[in-house]
Amino acid sequence: MDEVLARQSNDAEKIKRPAKFLTPQLKATASTLSIQLGMVFAFLLIWQFVVERGWISAFLAGSPAGIFSKLLEAVNNGSLWDNAKATVIEAIAGFLIGSLLGSLLGLSLWYSSFFARVVEPFIVAINSVPKIAFAPIVILWFGTGMVSKIMLATSMTFIIALIAAYEAAKNADRDLQSLMLALGSTKHQLFFKVVVPYSLPAIIATFRINIGFGLVGAVVGEFISSSHGLGHMIFTASSFYDLDTVWVGLFTLMLVGFILYYVVDRVERRLLPWKQADSGQRFRV
Amino acid sequence: MNTAVPKLSLRNVTKTFPAKGGDVNVLNKLSFDVYDQDFVSIIGPSGCGKSTVFNIIAGLLHPDEGEIRMDGEVVNGLRGKVGYMLQKDLLFPWRTVLENVVLGLEVRGTPLSESREIAMEYIYTYGLAGFEHAYPKALSGGMKQRVALIRTLIYDPQVILLDEPFSALDYQTRLYLEGVLVEAVETFKKTVILVTHDIDEAVALSKRVVVLSSRPGTVKAVHEIGLSQRTPIESRSDPRFSGYFHALCAELDIQTKVGS
Repeated sequence: MDEVLARQSNDAEKIKRPAKFLTPQLKATASTLSIQLGMVFAFLLIWQFVVERGWISAFLAGSPAGIFSKLLEAVNNGSLWDNAKATVIEAIAGFLIGSLLGSLLGLSLWYSSFFARVVEPFIVAINSVPKIAFAPIVILWFGTGMVSKIMLATSMTFIIALIAAYEAAKNADRDLQSLMLALGSTKHQLFFKVVVPYSLPAIIATFRINIGFGLVGAVVGEFISSSHGLGHMIFTASSFYDLDTVWVGLFTLMLVGFILYYVVDRVERRLLPWKQADSGQRFRV
Repeated sequence: MNTAVPKLSLRNVTKTFPAKGGDVNVLNKLSFDVYDQDFVSIIGPSGCGKSTVFNIIAGLLHPDEGEIRMDGEVVNGLRGKVGYMLQKDLLFPWRTVLENVVLGLEVRGTPLSESREIAMEYIYTYGLAGFEHAYPKALSGGMKQRVALIRTLIYDPQVILLDEPFSALDYQTRLYLEGVLVEAVETFKKTVILVTHDIDEAVALSKRVVVLSSRPGTVKAVHEIGLSQRTPIESRSDPRFSGYFHALCAELDIQTKVGS
């Protein structure tokens, strides 16, 4: 029993250790962040300098100062907020519908390998078409409002989520399944206790990709036909050669994508606590 | 030795797998008995179908011919009645120690509050207190196998099936866990079948050793092991230990194969 206790205290130490590294970790984050901000600032300075010197045409490239004044204008008259809101709603709605439905359907294909084999070529066929090519039809069917953009974002994300979930479920650990069967589990128990949790990391990893595709669907839909949204803002501004406004739209899109990605990242940490178990240990190279 | 009805008996179990170059006959008319509270090891040359026997008993594979009887009645494998440990710990990485331990009871439909209570007792007994909410990733190999052992015991199976459960561990941890296993089996009066390629382990732990021939696997000999020591370490220092060990080595033709 002494041996047991000795092992235990050893192991306990091993587990608690990451907490000690918290302060250096924070420090590292702070220094990374300051370097990153410095790089952005330097880039904008050089850009402004080059444009003022006339080495690059402000008409074709825009300029940081011009972008800033357009930004203030768009913020003050509320148009930036309206456009961003429209795009974000379309992207998120499409992302959620496509990813959730796709994942559910992909997982459920695990239940019947026969049915899965039947539909597989169709899935591959649909997946091989660039989904953007559906845009004109989608707009014909669902109009020029938000619904068509949501449908476009859905179509962008659905198949990707479906394939990822199906592949993950298909490859769920055989040995864990055998163990469950030996313990007398039913097919449902096997599905909910092994297949679903096993597939979850792959499914959520796909969500990270899909949040970007949701934005693509929304923006492309807005390019084609719309009265709102960041895509609309960029498209109309570029047809007036208003590059500064184009940049405002692009940077806002970038920020939106960044925030959404971060949200998915947080959700992942929430849903997969066991993946984070030993993230504190890193080897020095 | 035993006149009672065997806990488990295999009769003429035959299994053939289809393969590219023709069917492979893995088991051929395999028969042996396991009595209540028996500790039987199955050893044999590699590829003799040890793991196939294991899967047939667990009910994961069905024999082409032959039957399995439990307490005298023909059964279709022992699904839901066996505990099961492999070389891999087979812990669910997304479940904490506690959640892993109660898995079998959960599958069986035992209320969570009840199974948690039993689980905590076992976790304390086997020196894992304080780790009940840790994920397997954070545990050492020996601790993981201890969790797997608790999961097996708590399920209170009719028969415990072990397939080289300690072969991936270092020797000290292995001796320690062998001791834990033997003690647990005595305490809970369990029937154990151990599949192993390790003759040393088979002699140290078992009451009987079933030797399989090379493919197609069939029972070549059954050796009674008369070591009465209580721990695997003591067993290994028993003067009769090496006698059994050499007898089994001879049975497996190990000497003649050296250098070939």
